Amino acid sequence: MQRPLSRRALLRGSAVMTTEIGMAKVAFAAGQEAAEQGAAAVGPDAVPITLTVNSVEHALRVEPRATLAETLRGPLGLTGTKIACNHGACSACTVWLDGLPVCGCMTLAIEVGTRGVTTIEGLAMGGALHPVQAAFIEHDAMQCGFCTPGMVMSCAALLARTPAPTEDAVKAAISGHVCRCGTYPHVVAATLAAGARKA
Amino acid sequence: MQRFAWMSARTVSQAAAAATAITAELMTRPADATPTEAAIVKAGGLDVLDLLKENLLAPARLVSLREIPGLDVIAEEAGELRIGAMATLARVAADASVGQRYPALADALRSAASPQIRNVATLGGNLLQRPRCWYFRAEAFRCLRKGGGHCFAHGGENQYHAIFDNQACAIVHPSTAATVLVALGASVTLADAGGATRRVLLEDFLVGPDQDMQRENDLRPHEILIAVHLPPASPDAGMAYLKQGQKESFDWPLADVAVVLERDPAGVCKRARVVLGAAAPVPYRAARAEAALTGRRVDETLAKEAAQAAIQGATPLSRNGYKLPLFATLVRRAVLQAEAG
Amino acid sequence: MTDETLRRETFPAGILGAGLGTVERDVPPDEPPPLPPNAELALIGKPIPRINGVAKVTGATRFTVDVSLPGMLHGRILRSPLPHARLRAIDVAAAARHPGVRAILTIARPDDPDASVVRYVGAPVAAVAAVSPNAAEEAAALIGVDYEKLPFVTDMDAAREPSAPPVYPPGAAPPGHPSGYPARPDLPVNGNVRGPATDHRGDTAQGFAAAEVVVDGEYRTQVQTHCCMEPHAIVADWRDDGLTVHMSTQFTAGVRQELAAAFGLPLGRVRVVVDGMGGGFGSKSQLGAYGRIAVVLSRQAKAPVRIALHRDEEQMDSGNRPGTWQRLRIGARRDGTLTAISLVSYGTAGVTVGAGVGNNAQALYACPNFESAQHDVFTNGGPGCAMRGPGNTPGAFALEQAIDELAERLSLDPVALRDRIDPSRARREERRIGAERIGWQRRRPPGADAGPVKRGLGMAQSIWGANVQLNAGCEVRVMRDGSVEVLSSAQDIGSGIGTVLAQTVGEVFGLRPEAITVRIGDTEFPGGGPSYGSRTTASVTPPARTAAWRVLSVLLREAGLALNANPADLVARDGRIMVRGDAARAMEFRAAAARQRTDRISAVAYRSDDYGGFKRRMGDAALAHEDLGGVQFAEVAVDTETGVIRVERVVAVQDCGRPMNPLLLESQVQGGVLMGLSYALFEERLLDPHTGWMVNPNLEQYKLAGARDAPAIDVVVLENYQGNSATDAYGIAEPSNIATARAIANAVYNATGVRMRALPMTPAAVLAALGKVPARS
Repeated sequence: MQRPLSRRALLRGSAVMTTEIGMAKVAFAAGQEAAEQGAAAVGPDAVPITLTVNSVEHALRVEPRATLAETLRGPLGLTGTKIACNHGACSACTVWLDGLPVCGCMTLAIEVGTRGVTTIEGLAMGGALHPVQAAFIEHDAMQCGFCTPGMVMSCAALLARTPAPTEDAVKAAISGHVCRCGTYPHVVAATLAAGARKA
Repeated sequence: MQRFAWMSARTVSQAAAAATAITAELMTRPADATPTEAAIVKAGGLDVLDLLKENLLAPARLVSLREIPGLDVIAEEAGELRIGAMATLARVAADASVGQRYPALADALRSAASPQIRNVATLGGNLLQRPRCWYFRAEAFRCLRKGGGHCFAHGGENQYHAIFDNQACAIVHPSTAATVLVALGASVTLADAGGATRRVLLEDFLVGPDQDMQRENDLRPHEILIAVHLPPASPDAGMAYLKQGQKESFDWPLADVAVVLERDPAGVCKRARVVLGAAAPVPYRAARAEAALTGRRVDETLAKEAAQAAIQGATPLSRNGYKLPLFATLVRRAVLQAEAG
Repeated sequence: MTDETLRRETFPAGILGAGLGTVERDVPPDEPPPLPPNAELALIGKPIPRINGVAKVTGATRFTVDVSLPGMLHGRILRSPLPHARLRAIDVAAAARHPGVRAILTIARPDDPDASVVRYVGAPVAAVAAVSPNAAEEAAALIGVDYEKLPFVTDMDAAREPSAPPVYPPGAAPPGHPSGYPARPDLPVNGNVRGPATDHRGDTAQGFAAAEVVVDGEYRTQVQTHCCMEPHAIVADWRDDGLTVHMSTQFTAGVRQELAAAFGLPLGRVRVVVDGMGGGFGSKSQLGAYGRIAVVLSRQAKAPVRIALHRDEEQMDSGNRPGTWQRLRIGARRDGTLTAISLVSYGTAGVTVGAGVGNNAQALYACPNFESAQHDVFTNGGPGCAMRGPGNTPGAFALEQAIDELAERLSLDPVALRDRIDPSRARREERRIGAERIGWQRRRPPGADAGPVKRGLGMAQSIWGANVQLNAGCEVRVMRDGSVEVLSSAQDIGSGIGTVLAQTVGEVFGLRPEAITVRIGDTEFPGGGPSYGSRTTASVTPPARTAAWRVLSVLLREAGLALNANPADLVARDGRIMVRGDAARAMEFRAAAARQRTDRISAVAYRSDDYGGFKRRMGDAALAHEDLGGVQFAEVAVDTETGVIRVERVVAVQDCGRPMNPLLLESQVQGGVLMGLSYALFEERLLDPHTGWMVNPNLEQYKLAGARDAPAIDVVVLENYQGNSATDAYGIAEPSNIATARAIANAVYNATGVRMRALPMTPAAVLAALGKVPARS
């Protein structure tokens, strides 16, 4: 059985020995306990996991092959995260793992562990739109809207680390997104405006 | 995607013990072979998941390296920089030491893939990823590299394929990092289940079709790539990395070039490394260009000479002859940029 | 018109800033009075943000792929791995034993001569419905198919050869195609070539004899795929009492008709619903094979079935823009007057027809002598279909480069030449505005830059018919509490038609757009017409205003009684109904609604004919007299050492009659320009010559413009009033896409002095055109 993975448990695991390779410490050999506890194989049938999504913990069962995007959209019903290419080539499925934008379609649900997942449904806090969301509406940074949730997640993540980005920085942040409607100019304008407002 | 079991290793030894196979072994099995019991390693997972989703790979088990403590550390070590194999491309690109001492590597990693992928993809995984050749990537084509008898790129769609060493299999090596790391003279450390390690020059670790038709490197079963080592950057070295994609946004290189020039106090080039990516099945050392540069002072004329030398001996396919002038341009520009740096 | 019930009205007419005047029109009695120019209106013509913006930015919008019904099954289609093959046998026994399977359908059948041959890689062969996507995938893989390989051809030039393997046996080629040109059912078929569809006026032989200059060129355009971000998707729910279908479609009402006909159901028992619609660009205009498959599976399994195509299925079998070869000759006198135009085209839409190159060459410029011969070539490739400006987008690539070439041969400025030969008032004004915005006077002779990076300016024009759907309708209701609804089956493809409807209706009632509840994308409501042909706004906003105006007339009668005023003296403004010129005599809109005896006041209106009549009628559709012109200017930098074309700026000046919402129009035009840029530089469907497989059936090696490839785009939309309908509005989606690639190509010529006659203009193609690619040894 797979237990919810916890960093603290890992650090406490005194059975993990370290081998010095130069200055960096790498867990190298293992005692029996760690091997049994952490490294037991699970699946391929569904495995219980805990996912923390938008600050809410969910206990569920997933096959190891289930991607995070599928798991959010299916069992958790969070369909705001879109799957468009399913290969990491369009970024429509962008969610945050501990605040970092990643492709939900190229992440397995089982490997999320204790990292917090933020989806488009969790961005607006207490009913108030995130400034990026508000700016997207004002600047019409959307057309069909299918790529929009992922695009919003990328732009909001950018503003979290660079409150007042340059135009080039915005374009770089969304350079992995494909929008067939061609909303890029308005997305850039909206994000710059949201940045200017926040800064 | 086939079902698979999952193991999250907590130590390198566990991972190595569990990793019974490398992807090439599974991908060359005949389609009607019995299901395998083999386990393969997953780092960031972008390449493995891509292969799984295309039904090119069906391991019984994935062994995750993500929870092994310390595998992502970037640290100085006797003048070298040691980059843990699990460090993400984003982290390596943003690392202060990398930026100061190996700016060409930072440039290359910043240009790779997309921000989302760079946040997950690891340096080790980037080096070990399988080629992007579209015949290799499609289940319908049982090509040489997958144990078949034919390279479909010859006489097929080959605009993104190799212009050197392409007589049998025309893949280009997919790793952006490798282009620069070979130019920097980087080496890799591999560990086995017993804790033994071997350290190999990256250039020697990567193998072409003449050495092995079905693999791009010498990774062995029960072996984990744990670190990349960058030799001390000489203070009088200049370096540059240039990439040209078809698009400015998220795209693979049509051509990319890394140049490292070491100069003596008089400004004469003591040692030159000129490496072409997206040119050959492994990062291509343009030896003729390096020879042309060595012992001379770099200027426009010499850069042009080196550029022409770099593409000498190329054997373009039906649709990739454009790569010759493109590489010549990038080499010339990269040499001048390295010289200025 | 002699109909005495018509009333004479005076409408604004002409282009704002270039001679705005009036025109007299005869208007049906139940249609509203003329709508003044935008400057005099509260909502129409204003940059109102999208009313469904919050849902879109929070992920709440429900797209078809998000629809999940209780007990829903998942469908998966097994597709042909061969480009041409006859089925010898198909065995579904193993799939049927899969524990998750609930229904299996064989599409290709050995015993059926009409269905025993597959003609492209990706052609549907069989389908399953199962309890999960994974189960469906596994079961589909268990279906055994025995194929007899047949010879095939994927290259258009090769397919034209008399010795080429025939894609269809004699007499079996598909007839006319509902969209695209040529669409005539009676054309000859020789081998794999169907046509020519010919068109002519005057005498081209005489015209070329009279010409002092002739330009003659061959052009090629590639196959482009639609790449909708939401895949083609359907959830079919077959019940004993009727069929409900959730579908990502551009035409709910049309799909309903197709379903009713295909399954022998009365229209009243078929409902088609779409909420969020993740892009279509022409490819979601019809029910499609996957749609029919889902319905059959649902009927068989007695459960709802979802089919959502995977990306590789999207790329191989959801339609594409046909590739073309064109030869275009244009003759002219020294002063620029055109004397003759001759066009020959071959295009391939794979196994289907509709690969013509449109009517740019026929219609854009004044020329007394014209001839065209257009051919469809069958190949063993996935079927083409309409795509944003079908025909005209590849067609304009040839025409507008030829005109550019002609201008140079005549030593005329390309803008000046067009001023002589283009009769359109709108485009004249568009050229004037665009030239000023881009700084056209900076344009230098071709190849003027000495360095390796060469800059240039180019321009190109487009024409697109102003389409109208005549059976498009709208219902407007005011409930007793004063709440207002507008209802139509029209779907929002992404252009924001719901917002435009709220503006239209809000304008009539003097209410804010937020006060209007918009219910669209459901065939339970009056048929709203298709979202293709850039016709939604032109078709559905006039009946929306008409219906609202009829409801308001009833309300004003009530209010007149309450305010002791003549209803003709009342106006609805700012949430109130008041006596014109006497704001003290007023009542709340809500209070007026509450005076109703019934629970609602409702009116359904349909699109009337354009008040000035139509140029042409085609069944339920018609073309307005005036076409929609567009002029685009591009500035590029070409690195002649890498072959990379960087588009730095595009100025797009477009015409859509009355612009309803400049914010949304700007979005749409930017999208048209970017799709055109992507077509010009990046996109190409590549079929492996030896297997017929698409080697880039993804979004990675099928390259689409991203944010860093986007130039600065300057959008100008004319206000061009014509007095044609209750709103006088037309569409803009397709017109904004047609001119871009050729404006870029002309700018590349101006930069380098080298003319790019084939798309896409990749670094490989540019370096080759510059003579920099060595011959292979």
